[in-house]
Amino acid sequence: MSLELVFQQALNGLSFGALLFILASGLSLVFGMMDVVNLAHGAFYMLGAYVALSVVQVTGSFWIAMLAAPLALALVGLVVEPLLLRRLRGRHLDQVLLTIGVSLVIVDLIGQLWGREVRSLSAPPGLDGSVGLIGGVYPVYRLFVIAFGVVLAAAMAVVYRRTRIGMLIRAGVEDAEMLGALGIDTNRLFASTFATGAALAGLAGVIAAPVFGVQPGMDTDPGLLYSLVVVVVGGLGTLSGAVAGSLLIGPADTFGKVLFQDVALAVIFAIVALVLLLKPTGLLGRIRIAR
Amino acid sequence: MRPLARWALVAVAAVALVTFPYWSAQWESTRFATTLLRDALILAIFALSLDLLVGRAGMPSLGHAAFFGAGGYAAGIASQRLATDQLPVTLGAAAVVAALLALVIGVLVVRSEGIFFLMLTLALAQIVFAIAFQWTAVTGGSNGLSGVGRPMLATLDFSSPDLMYVLVSITFVAAALLVWGLARSPYGRALIGVRENERRMRALGYDTTRLRLSAFVVAGTIAGIAGALSAYSTRFVSAQDAGLGNSVRAFVTVLVGGAGTLAGPIAGSALVSFIERVVPSLLPVELRISEAILGLVFIAFVLFARQGMVGVGRSAWLRVRTR
Amino acid sequence: MGGFVKNKLAEKRGYTYRLTRRQFLVASSAAALAACAPGAVTPSASSSVAPGKALKIGLLLPFSGVYAELGTSMRRATEFYLRQNDTKLANRPVTTVYADDANVTATGIAAAQKFIDQDQVDVLMGVVPTPLAYGIRNAVHAAKLIFIDTNAGGNALTRDTTNCTPSCKSPYIFRASFSSYQISYPIGDYLSAKGTKEFFLAYANYGFGTESAADFTTGLKKNGGTTTGNVAPPLGNPDFAPFVTQIKNQPTKNVYSFFSGADAIGFIKSWNSLGLPAAGYKMYGAGFLTEQDVLKEVKDLANGAITSLFWAVELDNAENKKFVADFQKQYPLLPDVFTVQQYDGMRALDEALKALGGDTSDKDKFVKALEDVSFKSPRGDFAFDKTTHNPIQDIYIREVKTQNGQTVNTISDKIAKVTDPGK
Repeated sequence: MSLELVFQQALNGLSFGALLFILASGLSLVFGMMDVVNLAHGAFYMLGAYVALSVVQVTGSFWIAMLAAPLALALVGLVVEPLLLRRLRGRHLDQVLLTIGVSLVIVDLIGQLWGREVRSLSAPPGLDGSVGLIGGVYPVYRLFVIAFGVVLAAAMAVVYRRTRIGMLIRAGVEDAEMLGALGIDTNRLFASTFATGAALAGLAGVIAAPVFGVQPGMDTDPGLLYSLVVVVVGGLGTLSGAVAGSLLIGPADTFGKVLFQDVALAVIFAIVALVLLLKPTGLLGRIRIAR
Repeated sequence: MRPLARWALVAVAAVALVTFPYWSAQWESTRFATTLLRDALILAIFALSLDLLVGRAGMPSLGHAAFFGAGGYAAGIASQRLATDQLPVTLGAAAVVAALLALVIGVLVVRSEGIFFLMLTLALAQIVFAIAFQWTAVTGGSNGLSGVGRPMLATLDFSSPDLMYVLVSITFVAAALLVWGLARSPYGRALIGVRENERRMRALGYDTTRLRLSAFVVAGTIAGIAGALSAYSTRFVSAQDAGLGNSVRAFVTVLVGGAGTLAGPIAGSALVSFIERVVPSLLPVELRISEAILGLVFIAFVLFARQGMVGVGRSAWLRVRTR
Repeated sequence: MGGFVKNKLAEKRGYTYRLTRRQFLVASSAAALAACAPGAVTPSASSSVAPGKALKIGLLLPFSGVYAELGTSMRRATEFYLRQNDTKLANRPVTTVYADDANVTATGIAAAQKFIDQDQVDVLMGVVPTPLAYGIRNAVHAAKLIFIDTNAGGNALTRDTTNCTPSCKSPYIFRASFSSYQISYPIGDYLSAKGTKEFFLAYANYGFGTESAADFTTGLKKNGGTTTGNVAPPLGNPDFAPFVTQIKNQPTKNVYSFFSGADAIGFIKSWNSLGLPAAGYKMYGAGFLTEQDVLKEVKDLANGAITSLFWAVELDNAENKKFVADFQKQYPLLPDVFTVQQYDGMRALDEALKALGGDTSDKDKFVKALEDVSFKSPRGDFAFDKTTHNPIQDIYIREVKTQNGQTVNTISDKIAKVTDPGK
């Protein structure tokens, strides 16, 4: 591989990683805060993309879709959490089954409402060109995605560390019961956290659509599979874990698929296996104290 | 109910199950119900094996289909490469290959817990799937392995629908007895102990790692046998048999039926088979809501019938009894 | 253990309820549903269908999963044909039964078995994925069920192979679509004969893709052409940039690609955004790379791509013009290649039935009648190769152009009467 090629693939890997981060951030937030592995996360991501399709069709604006889809998903989250998840606090296997059920229902509804054709979304005008870079041209949109990922991570870090809601979330991650005992309305906190996680999934649906496309099956591949991989590899439930996971998986998957073509399907799972075997709680994971 | 009476009932049920195609021939002249029941029983064997892990040992594996698929491929490849269709050889090959694979994967995963165990089993199973999908020379690749031989025992050919069913149902009864026996044995109690409080078990002197590994291998072997039966039934092995979809299917079957019980995986298989195979034929294909129905069923069970179908049944039975 | 609810009345009566009303309701509805099962599996009256009785066609199609679009298209084609013919084929009424394989091979095999055992269909049609076609081949052959494959293009289904691996032909199996050889070898032969001899390959790494790439290469080699390397993304790959980047960093400008559906869309979008057209790279491929489902999403990004297929919407023959016009009158859509495949399958069945006078009781006569059909299809002259039961058809070399605001495949050349070699 020439240096130019390595540089280009590194950019590909980074932009892919940025998309993975945006995708996985919601899952990480919900797990970190509520100890819930939301297996409907992929379905939320898919719903965000399809909502974006309709919004763009009606308004012609990608940017409006970028606002509308997360809002729509936040609403969905605000319905699912109190109605369903709240009754299952602490019952992990049951939560798994419940979120699988939610996912099946949402994916089927998407098929009923939007049809089962393969669709796509174009990058918005202004971001749909290519710029000259070392070794040729590179799509502006992928550079935008990298920038967006960085900004999102930074914003989440700021909220997490310097705002009251962030403090509450950090406290909730440590000990939700104590938080309740201190008089914080944990129900509302959990509902809004779940809604935010859903909104982030919806946002990912919009932003990733020009790259990953919009089609049946996207809830699992890339949706749920890649977010689970990033979150678990990076270290469950922490923002830095999600960042670390994406920074590892993005480039590793990109280079791996190209260098080891015959086993490309297995590359990402080989990475997961390797990381978990060497560091059983993920790159930046800490041993969680069972509650 | 007295133990003797209970055993008699079980024996009668088992005989009725195994001879189903013969006494149902009157009202079931096509082989559809037999085929449906056969596939439900294969799923039940698969689910029973997974329940050993999920329900008893507290090891939530999302990669169990790797062993199902490995068993199917082993049976198929053995019948082709060794030019024999004899059951002991092909079924034996399936069991051995599945056991070895479970040993290899088990050694890697057995020290993990919870979500990490789940992801690790998922990842390793996906690697197995990828090998099955790409290694065309051996597994047929994405096109699958066709022409799996007929299962034979000396000159008895099991490939007719009735005899195939008998083979599957006998294996099911055997597997159910095995799992039941294991659960009640000291070994089974030890597994539950490991699930409930591993530290205490270790303090009591149990080698918990070896316990879990053995459970993993036993479960994998039984799953491999289920996979072989599936290969014999359809005479075909698809890479998807080792895929994530199949693992999730088994996992959900166990949860819906009731993890940690004998009847649970069996009841779950009945329900899942019903929803997968019967419901679509009742609804016009445009509606295609069987996936949404399945989803709603899960949600309903989890919210309202937490113990799974078997738990609900048990509660209902108790309620009737204590009147 | 959670989930136990104390019931006040029960407490008064001195025992603890372990069941709430809700749980009981759920359990009893589940039991009620289960009790319906025997009714559901009661077989339809079994009888050999006499002429005049309805012809039962079982269609095994995907209505969920990644190929759902194809299933919908092919169902539409079936209904379109039947509507044009008063729901009759050769004056015999037709009933259709659909089953969804959901792109899960095991589900499809079970559905096919149900068609054979319970529904007792007279003819099986459909089947999109090749693994499923291979999976049901033996069951169909053993049941002597006439199966008209209207999509799955795996070569082996209509060939003599050693040990019937991965599959092999059967007298009862006909194909109204194509073999992957037919859409890959001729264009390799054609391009290398015209002087374009060096190609780089890019294909989805599964049966169909590898088979197409291999057949294309064989076609190249016939005229001394070669391939200089390949990239083979996994099927369903999300991000094509890494692979297209590899293509851009190697010198061979002519690239033969095999992708379809979402993969094709992703590939073509990456191809453009990474600047390959400007850098002089030329895209060639098997027809599915630029079929309607792809063109409607990528539009002019695909301009200049040269592909081979047995049909195009723009094909200029009387039958196709009428077909497209009639279809558009019925539905607000253009027909796609999957529509044509299924439509031609129905037509072949219709022609065979006409020759038989509607009498399908003699299987051998039925097979012979199908072998003898010959008609003008939207794709041109249609007939089955008598040895392989694969269609003998013209293969068109097409180029993607945008005309009148629409991006379409325009026909630039034709390779007449291509038949699959059968071995």
